[in-house]
This record gives sequence, C-alpha cells and structure tokens, in this order.
Amino acid sequence: MTTARVLYHLARADFLERVRRYSFLLTLAFAAGLALLTSSGTISLQLDEYRGVYNSAWVGSMMTLVGTTYITLAGFYMVKNTIQRDGQTRVGLVLATTPMSKSLYTLGKALSNFAVLGAMVSVLAVAAVILELVRAEAGGLEPGKLLAPFVWVALPAMAMTAAVAVLFETLPVLRGGAGNVIYFFAWTAYVAVSGITGVNDYVGFGLFMRQMGGALKRIDPTYPGGFAFGHPNAEAAKTFLWNGVDWTPQVLLGRLQWIAIAVAIAWLSALFFHRFDPAREGWRRKKEAPEPGERADAHDAAAQRVADPHLTPLARAAHGSQFPRLVVSELRLMMKGRRWWWYLVAAGLFVASLVVPDVHAHQAFAGFAWLWPVLIWSQMGAREARHDTQKLLFSCAHALDRQLPAVWAAGVIVALCTGAGLGIRLLIGSDLPSLFAWLAGALFVPTFALALGVWSGSSKLFEALYTLWWYVGPMNHTPGLDFTGMAHSSVSTPFYLLATLVLLTAAYFGRRTKLGYA
Amino acid sequence: MQLIIDKAGKRYHGRHGAVWALRNFSLELRPGVLGLLGPNGAGKTTLMNIIATITRATEGTVTWNGSDLQREPDAVRAVLGYLPQDFGVYPNLNAVEFLEYFAAVKGLDGASTRRRIDELLQLVNLADVRKRPLGGYSGGMRQRVGIAQALLNDPQLLIVDEPTAGLDPEERVRFRNLLSDLSGDRVVILSTHIVSDVEATATDIALISGGTLVTHAAPEELLRAAEGKVWEWVIPSAELSAAKQSYLIGSTVRRADGVHVRLLAESAPAGAVPVAATLEDAYLHCLSTHRAHLAEAKAR
Repeated sequence: MTTARVLYHLARADFLERVRRYSFLLTLAFAAGLALLTSSGTISLQLDEYRGVYNSAWVGSMMTLVGTTYITLAGFYMVKNTIQRDGQTRVGLVLATTPMSKSLYTLGKALSNFAVLGAMVSVLAVAAVILELVRAEAGGLEPGKLLAPFVWVALPAMAMTAAVAVLFETLPVLRGGAGNVIYFFAWTAYVAVSGITGVNDYVGFGLFMRQMGGALKRIDPTYPGGFAFGHPNAEAAKTFLWNGVDWTPQVLLGRLQWIAIAVAIAWLSALFFHRFDPAREGWRRKKEAPEPGERADAHDAAAQRVADPHLTPLARAAHGSQFPRLVVSELRLMMKGRRWWWYLVAAGLFVASLVVPDVHAHQAFAGFAWLWPVLIWSQMGAREARHDTQKLLFSCAHALDRQLPAVWAAGVIVALCTGAGLGIRLLIGSDLPSLFAWLAGALFVPTFALALGVWSGSSKLFEALYTLWWYVGPMNHTPGLDFTGMAHSSVSTPFYLLATLVLLTAAYFGRRTKLGYA
Repeated sequence: MQLIIDKAGKRYHGRHGAVWALRNFSLELRPGVLGLLGPNGAGKTTLMNIIATITRATEGTVTWNGSDLQREPDAVRAVLGYLPQDFGVYPNLNAVEFLEYFAAVKGLDGASTRRRIDELLQLVNLADVRKRPLGGYSGGMRQRVGIAQALLNDPQLLIVDEPTAGLDPEERVRFRNLLSDLSGDRVVILSTHIVSDVEATATDIALISGGTLVTHAAPEELLRAAEGKVWEWVIPSAELSAAKQSYLIGSTVRRADGVHVRLLAESAPAGAVPVAATLEDAYLHCLSTHRAHLAEAKAR
C-alpha cells in the first residue's frame, strides 16, 4: 500500500467516525450560526465609517474572515481530540502495532481535522452565496470572486488550525485543559498583533486590511485606516465598491506558505507523538506507574500473606443519606492531583485580590482568581464519561438527586474559596450590591460548568466558552458579562441567578436522560 | 429476596432499523449464583444492564422484592453491587480513596466504610498497594478494585459481568470461592464465557441465545441432558477436517496415536467411546439443539 493510500485511509476513517457522531451536527450548527449572525449584521466588517457594497468579492471576503476568525478559535477545540479518541477507543493500540510511521499518523490526523474544519468552511461558503443573492446590492453572482477568499485564505487557515491541534495533542503539557487555555491566549495575542501590524498572518486579517484599506484610500484619501470586524457599534454610514483581493503570485505564495507550514507542523508533531505507549503518555503517569517487576513483587507478597480473608456483614443502619460526606468526597475528587504550587497560586490570588490597594491591579487579581480553577470546574459533569465510571456510578442509589447536587455543591465551594479575596473585600467595604453579584457569580460559574459537562460529556466546551466569557467579561469589564461582581450592574445579579437556575435544571435533565431512569 | 423478570424486552434503534437485543425474557431468581451463559451478542449484558438499572426495558417488568424497577429503581440500587464488563477508574485516586468515594455515593457511613474497605482490600489482595494511584495499576488489579467496589455495600443483589477477565489463575480461584461463600444469602448473577467459572460456582444456569432464554436449569439437569451423547474418538489428523463437517466437535487434542476428538452426537461414530459430559459439553449440546429447533421452525 502506498504512503498516499495509507494517509488517505487514516484520514478517511477518522473523518467518517467524526461525521457519524451527533457532535458533528453541532459543529455544522456552529458554522450555520456564524453565517446567520453575519447575514443579520450582528457580525460585520467595517472600515471606519465604510462597508463594502454586497458584491461577490465583499461577501466572500467577509464570510471568509468570519470563518478564519471564529473557526480557527472554536474549531481548534472541536477537532483537538482525534488522537485522544484513538486512545479511548483503543484503536490506537492496534495502529501502534502496524508498520505505519508516526509522521504518517500525525499527518493523517491533521488531514482529518482539516476535512472537519473544511466542512464548516463549506457551510459558510454556501451561506455566502445565499447572502449575496438575498442582498443583491451589486451585479450578479461571480463565483470566482466569491469563492477565491475561501480557497486561498480560509483553507490555509484551517490547515494551520488542524495541524496546531495535532501538535497540541502530541505535546504532554498542552494535551489537557492547560493547553486549551494556553491556545486561547496565544490565539488572542496573535490575532491582536496581526490586526495591529497588518502582517501576512494565517487568519488573513493582514491581507484583507491591506487590500481593502488600499482600495478605500484610493476612493477616499481621508480614510484614517480603521478596520473593525465583529459586532459593530453603529451601522456603516457609507459604502464603497470593492472588487476583491488582487491575487498576485506573491499573495498566492504567501497563502500557500501557510499550508506548507501546516504540513511541517503536523509532520514535526510526530517527534512528540507517544504512539500509544503507556509509559510515554504523560510525565505524571510515568512517574506514578510502577515498574512491572515492582508490581509483580507486591502482588506475590500480598498473595502469600493473605490466606483466608473475611468480610464482616454490613449493618443495614450503615446505609443512609450522608450528603455532607458525599460533598466532601466530590470535593476531594475534584482537588485530587493538584500540586502544591496550584494551592500556592490560588492563595496568592486570594491575598492579592483582598489586600492590593490599586483598583485595577486588585480587579485583575480577582479576575484571575476565578480563571485559576477552570480546569477543576471543567471536570464537573464530564468526569464520569471521561473516566468511564458511568455504569458504576449510575447504578448507585440516588445518583441523580444526591450525587449530582453534591458535585454542584463542591464546585460552588471551590468558587467561594478561590474568589473569597474579593468577596471579603466587598463585605468589608459594605458594598452589598456587588457582594450579591459576586455570590451570584459563585453560583453561576460552577453551574455553567456542570451543565456543559453533563450535556457535552467533555470538559473542552466549558474550557473554551468560559475562557472566552472570562476574557470579555471580567477582564474587559463588559457590563452584564462580568460575573465577578466587579462591574456590577443592576441587572447582573438577577440575570446570573436566573441563568444558574436554568443551567441547573438543564444539568438535572441532562443527567436524567443519561441515567435512562428517573 | 426475589428477583422476577417478566417478559422483559429491549429494543435498540440502529442505522438499519430496530433490533431486539432481548425479547420475551422471563426468569425468577432467589438466593444463589445464577450462571449466565450464551454466545457473543446473546443479550447477556443487555439483561444485566436492565437489572442494574443502567437501561430501561422496552417491554415487560423486572421486580425486586415486589418493587418494580421501572418505577422504583432506587429499591434495587440501594442493595445492588455491580461490576460491569468495561469500567474505568479515577487515575489520581488510590484504591482506598476510590472505594471511600463510592462508599459515600452509595450512602455508607464513615465508620462502617473504613473497616469494610480494609477487609475488601485484603480480600482482593490489594492491601499492599492500597496507597498507589489507580493510574499505575495493571488491568487485573483494576478488575480487583472493581470487585471490591461491587461488594462495598454488602449487596443483596450482586451482578458481575466477566468478573475474572484479566485475573491470573490464582485470583480467579479466589474469586470463585468468594462467590460461592457469598451466594448463601444473596442473589448473584454471574455472566462469563469461562464455563469452568460457572461450573465451580453456579447453583443455576440460564442459557441465552438471540435475546431469548434457551433454558434455565440446575447444572445437574443440563449435564443429564447431555449424558450419553459425548464421545471420544481417536482419528488420524488427515480425517479431522471431515469429522468437523459431520459432527459437533467440543475439543481436539493431538497425541502420538492421533487426534483425540471430543464430540457430541446422538449415536457414536465407529470406534468412538462414551465419556462423561462436562458443563461445556452440556452448553454446546443445549445450544445446538436450540439452533436445530429454530432452523426446523423456520423451514416449516
């Protein structure tokens, strides 16, 4: 079998496995949602007070930017599980015993990621055609101009995202939740820098900024160079006719370079790929795993010593509710595996948000205090699926009305403890409205995690959405989106309490559905 | 203590339409060990999932001491010990912490739990590695943690699906003995492909095939049905292939004088000598008779 055939089948099997899962429908729904928001004008592209006339070039470019901006971020989280799935399904163990090379495997996985992301881009391309036909602001449909940005900008961006997702999966440090958070910040910084400098970035900001800005400057020399993409503050007052990117050989080479870089990243990922060797799956597990000889010795020693074990019958009185004990157990399970430095940083953030006098600094510390436990909360509701303990747990009495509330209570305790610096400060300052808003936030965050964990069965959805929300809300003090109580507004407390109630109900019914029994 | 399964059925909806994994299944169980035998895909795991309240029956009822599990699943969950065929563990917890967690989930009090966990870890031979994170355990060690978990609440109904998978021979024997000891005052359902495990422990056997109950009988009854139909036949290697076409072969052993074939047949082939039936022979006989009846019914 040729290398190309192996690569094709690796990617094909992985892609088919993905598209036959319900989660793939969610992936497409996400792309369709982006298209809908763009069509309605919620997401738009403006150059100062201008927007382009809705011709094929403008619609295609705008929809491409939507894809490259949002899919390179959210899509990363959606595809960053391809190697993990092979591990969970144990298909990886079989693959590891074949002659397939590690680089072929990582390239195949990147190709499968690319196919999934490409499917999302296709949804946007179809939406772009519909949008132009509906708006019909200029001339007829020009497929070449409409689709060229998708081909030359969106697809290389997807190739990069696909390859980086594989790289993150192969690196032990970036494989888990920490990698998800790091990607968010790295991506934000990268897009911000490329937006400011206008360099040839893989997302395509620089290219569109230069080309659109240049065209507008020729029409209106007073154009100051503004380029805004996202939710507009106000409708664009003027329009200008833009005929699309000038696809010179240099521009095309600039875009193709990202595909080459993506292939290189996917290929280099093989250097870190563990090939499903349990001894290489992670630094911590390696440390914990006993040597085979040690394991056998321990077993033999125990076997010799135990002759005739005895089990004392358990008194019926030993059975009961024991809810507080269950909460403590859930809390212990949540915190298990945290290293000493985790507690040190949490304590530092607590003290800093309590005593630092500078308002901006203390707000930043208080914000970070509720980002620090993100990987603890993200396990809520998803832990059972991740570790395959559902059957053990769901066959226990009161799994729905006792264990689920216990998980929630433990999550709230984590929120109260890690955010206590700000809470105490608000209490001392007798800022009761903000204190109530903070309390509502302490209830909301773990409930949000629990609901997403129960429904998605994965920690990633919460990690991605929460980090984004945290960045927009507590970090940028966006009114209404700041759940920490620092940017208190009169509506935030009731909103977050209501959201908590809705999410708690969603978590309850989600778990109830999974239990199969009421 | 009584478990009654009455005309239970489970239908799954797949890509190619509805499939009945279990159909019209009825069984009544009292204290003792029920060995659940059947070929792959017979419906054993589906049946256990229904009894363990993991999934609902599509039709029929299952009652535990008179309580309908569809309406009162907690009636059985409170007294249930369940060891699924596939299960995971929390890799950062050690055996004690894992069992303490499940004790809390099962609603056991602290004082009883500590003593129980000590005894269970002794019982499953993990006392020496009790403080080691489960992530570093071998497959057999994890299986033993699962067994301890199933026994944590001193269950009145114990369901174990392939419990000896991954255990070494010594541990397997210990587990069999444990099941026999436990069976006196509780209902134990043991599903396995290892007939010798059933032979050693079961007081009753239920044979399932194609989602239906083929037979429910004591091991002695099954053995009696196969008695006089098991033969040992020594043939040259070259004739083995033809023998496989003509007879239901239980096992073959190559020796200096030829291949010793153990086969099931109503009448002996020339030169074959009768031998005592084992439970494995009885299982094969029962299953082949059932399949022959089905084929006959289909032909009609």
